[in-house]
Amino acid sequence: MSLTLERIEALAPDQASLASARKLLKPCSWPTLAQAEGLVWGECQGSGATPYRVVVNEADAGYKCTCPSRKFPCKHSLALMWMRADKSSAFVSAPVPEWVKDWLSRRRGSSSAPAKNEEDAQPKPRPSIRLTEIPEAAATADPKSEQRAAAARERNRVEREEAVLAGLDEFDTWLSDQAQHGMANFVAQAAQACRTIAQRLVDTKAQGLAGRLDSLPTRLFTLPGPVRPSAAIRELGQVYLISQAYRRASELPELLAADARLAVGWSITREALLSDSEALRVNAKWRVVAVMSEAQPDRLRRVETWMWRQSDSDGMPPCAVLIDFVPISTGAATGGYLVGDQIDAEVTFYRSSIPLRAQITTLNKGAEQSSEQLALPTRSLSASYTDYEGALAQLPWLGTIPLTFRSANVRRNGEQLYIHDDESGFSLPLHTSQATHALPLASVGPIDGIGLWNGYEFTLAWAETQLGRWVRS
Amino acid sequence: MNRTMLHAKVLPSLLAGTSRHALPELVRPANPNSDGVLEVLSLMGQALRFERPTTPDSFIVEPEIKDERKILAGSLRRPLVRLLTAKNVTEHPGHALARTLERLRLRPHPFDLPLIDAFVRSNAERLGPTAQHWADRQKPEAETQSYFDPELLDESNWAQATLSRRVTYLEQRRRDGADAARTLLESTWGQESAEARFRLLQTLQTALSTTDQPFLSVLEKDRAPRVRALAARFLARLGAAGESPALHACLERIKQSKSGLNRKRTALQLELPANVKDQAASRWILQTFTDVSLRELASAFHLKEEELIESASNDEPFLLALALIATSDLRLDLLELVVAHLPSAWEKMVESGLDTLGTMGELERQRWQEIIVHPYRKDLPTIYHLWQWLHRITDAQAPVAVMSTVLHAKLLKKIPEHECVVWFELLTAICPPARRHELRQQLADFDQSITATPLALLDILDGMEIDGPHG
Repeated sequence: MSLTLERIEALAPDQASLASARKLLKPCSWPTLAQAEGLVWGECQGSGATPYRVVVNEADAGYKCTCPSRKFPCKHSLALMWMRADKSSAFVSAPVPEWVKDWLSRRRGSSSAPAKNEEDAQPKPRPSIRLTEIPEAAATADPKSEQRAAAARERNRVEREEAVLAGLDEFDTWLSDQAQHGMANFVAQAAQACRTIAQRLVDTKAQGLAGRLDSLPTRLFTLPGPVRPSAAIRELGQVYLISQAYRRASELPELLAADARLAVGWSITREALLSDSEALRVNAKWRVVAVMSEAQPDRLRRVETWMWRQSDSDGMPPCAVLIDFVPISTGAATGGYLVGDQIDAEVTFYRSSIPLRAQITTLNKGAEQSSEQLALPTRSLSASYTDYEGALAQLPWLGTIPLTFRSANVRRNGEQLYIHDDESGFSLPLHTSQATHALPLASVGPIDGIGLWNGYEFTLAWAETQLGRWVRS
Repeated sequence: MNRTMLHAKVLPSLLAGTSRHALPELVRPANPNSDGVLEVLSLMGQALRFERPTTPDSFIVEPEIKDERKILAGSLRRPLVRLLTAKNVTEHPGHALARTLERLRLRPHPFDLPLIDAFVRSNAERLGPTAQHWADRQKPEAETQSYFDPELLDESNWAQATLSRRVTYLEQRRRDGADAARTLLESTWGQESAEARFRLLQTLQTALSTTDQPFLSVLEKDRAPRVRALAARFLARLGAAGESPALHACLERIKQSKSGLNRKRTALQLELPANVKDQAASRWILQTFTDVSLRELASAFHLKEEELIESASNDEPFLLALALIATSDLRLDLLELVVAHLPSAWEKMVESGLDTLGTMGELERQRWQEIIVHPYRKDLPTIYHLWQWLHRITDAQAPVAVMSTVLHAKLLKKIPEHECVVWFELLTAICPPARRHELRQQLADFDQSITATPLALLDILDGMEIDGPHG
């Protein structure tokens, strides 16, 4: 059965979804549109840092999109079906990519049949494609209401600034109490103590710090017991540094002050970032080297897509991380991209003294899996670590950072694995979760690669070995 | 203040609490309104962040494993991992993959071993030394073995190979020269584990003769009870232990009579104990007749083995017993005669709980399968557990003749719809290479969501054939 507009109307969850889908019908929104074996797929730049990947099975209208929407099918899936049904866009024939194969292998049964209980429930007005053609009433600009809105925004900003400062004062008091009772004592009741202050900081609109403190107990408990108290000093000391930097932002370099605001919780929307003419932009070929996913206490999943620059852009950051937040309830555990994907795109970095976080501004070409070796700098593990120390001096609350290495070995001491530089004798402990998956690397000799260092453990992400490529799974 | 001083003077205060262990006086807050504790906390935290991680004094030296098998082609790695880690997949694709990897002397990529850990543990012996080392990695060193897997075994290296290959090798040697094979077994007997002793001893069933008797007599004092029991069973078959109790128990239940008007023929009938109800009869038969051979039984009635089968031709329970004994004796020629009188031998054997074909080689297992499936012709059963049992017990792909019947009978179309997924996986797993194309064609008639796993399995198996040493 092929896709028809009637079928799309039947699948659409509501009229609004169809109207949103219509806006995505422009081929320029879709750097990739391809087809093979009864499947069509594409990539669509949405509001997230990572473009969404959409696939539709023409036979049964089964679909999958990497966006975090709770509507099924989402507007991206509907748009792809629509473009296919009305033949308005050209779909190139291409081999089925790995991410589509992954979806196919996991899927069981047809998803096209409407749920019976929905049919039995109260009848809803059926969404109609024809209705989406009604032009929206043109918004008339009213200068007075614009002024009122701007004034309200400014008032909200000032109120929030005050609330944040009040929250930081409360945090100082709380932290003084913890220091009086000692860090050994803090670790024992970290969950309750952090939860309380995190909730208070959420109330005072310092969500960034609240998030750090809320997830602190989890981070501490992944570490061995004896090092937890000293790790608590490191973590709480960083939060205090951020709070001080925020208060004294005017005395700091502009970029460091921006880092402090971001760390406290002032977010920058995609639109604001893209309209910032001074934001750092890098148009290059990138390689996805790691996709990290972590459930947060606020019921969002943080998905980080780490990309390593493959083409020359002297003086520009070699690495970018795209961060998306997806509701845990959607079940999505990964972003749209797979490790190994090659992306030709312009990337815009958030202002920072160590630019890492970015958004894809323009996708020059759809992502493709590539078997090419990763282009890595000729730096040893020890030299990369020295760079890290330099970056830490610039941004004292620096979080996870990628480190590359050449000719290092994975070595074992008991159950703990290390990445070891034989020449300098320097080594970093691998993340305990990799004790099994990275074990085969202990028998393959020297490797080149890249990993993520969080100050405690090194998560090996990618290794070029004599047995081929190894990637974190 | 330097790092050493921070560690010596400040860290203890922060750990114990400044109320208990005051900060040293040398700490002067920058802000006169502050007590300086939080600044010191922050400074200490940053100092700790700049401390380089410590490197252990020594690392473990990883063993060098010589694995001569070819690593699976890169293009097949991801599909293999995807298939073996997919949810709700039956055990059949795993068995088919392990078999094919072993047959083609391929091995999974070492980097994939952690991803398919459960598969590797279940099939370690078939996947080569690297995989076996992986599966044994958490065992104490004393329980591990040397990881050696040469392409060809001979007397000099057979003891170092994996147990399954050693069993196959010894089995073959028994066929070529029973005494020499036994001598070979005797030469390493002292170093074998209980499991190895049991499995290797099973090979003596092939061409068992009185020359094995002295060796078997020694084994009656073996440390492992199941080795002692197996040796005693063999001795009983050889008649070395006087009248076999197992044979006596069987004869007690067989009623002999004469039938025929002109030419009187011996007719044998098995009388089941009164307390053995219908459903338990097959199990009782398996238990009772496991330890006797066809030759012993025939001799007891002064008949040839073929005559024994003929005289039991009207008694289903006794025919089942003979089918089980023929299987255990590896007498497929006689099994064929039994099945001619007992077309439902397959179902009866399933009922009996038979769970092993002993030391049968792959070709024999395929032949055995062909014999018990043959009577059904195109009316093949559509009962899943019968086929599941057949695959499990033979652990081999189906003979071409059986698969041809399956495909010509359009068995796929007769399967209950809700069972299609498991059936298709099973039929794909047992399909020999020569019939895969036809199977693909028949699978194409079904919904893609049902056939995704079977088609992926076919792709991998076909890919392996191309990738293998002869591909």
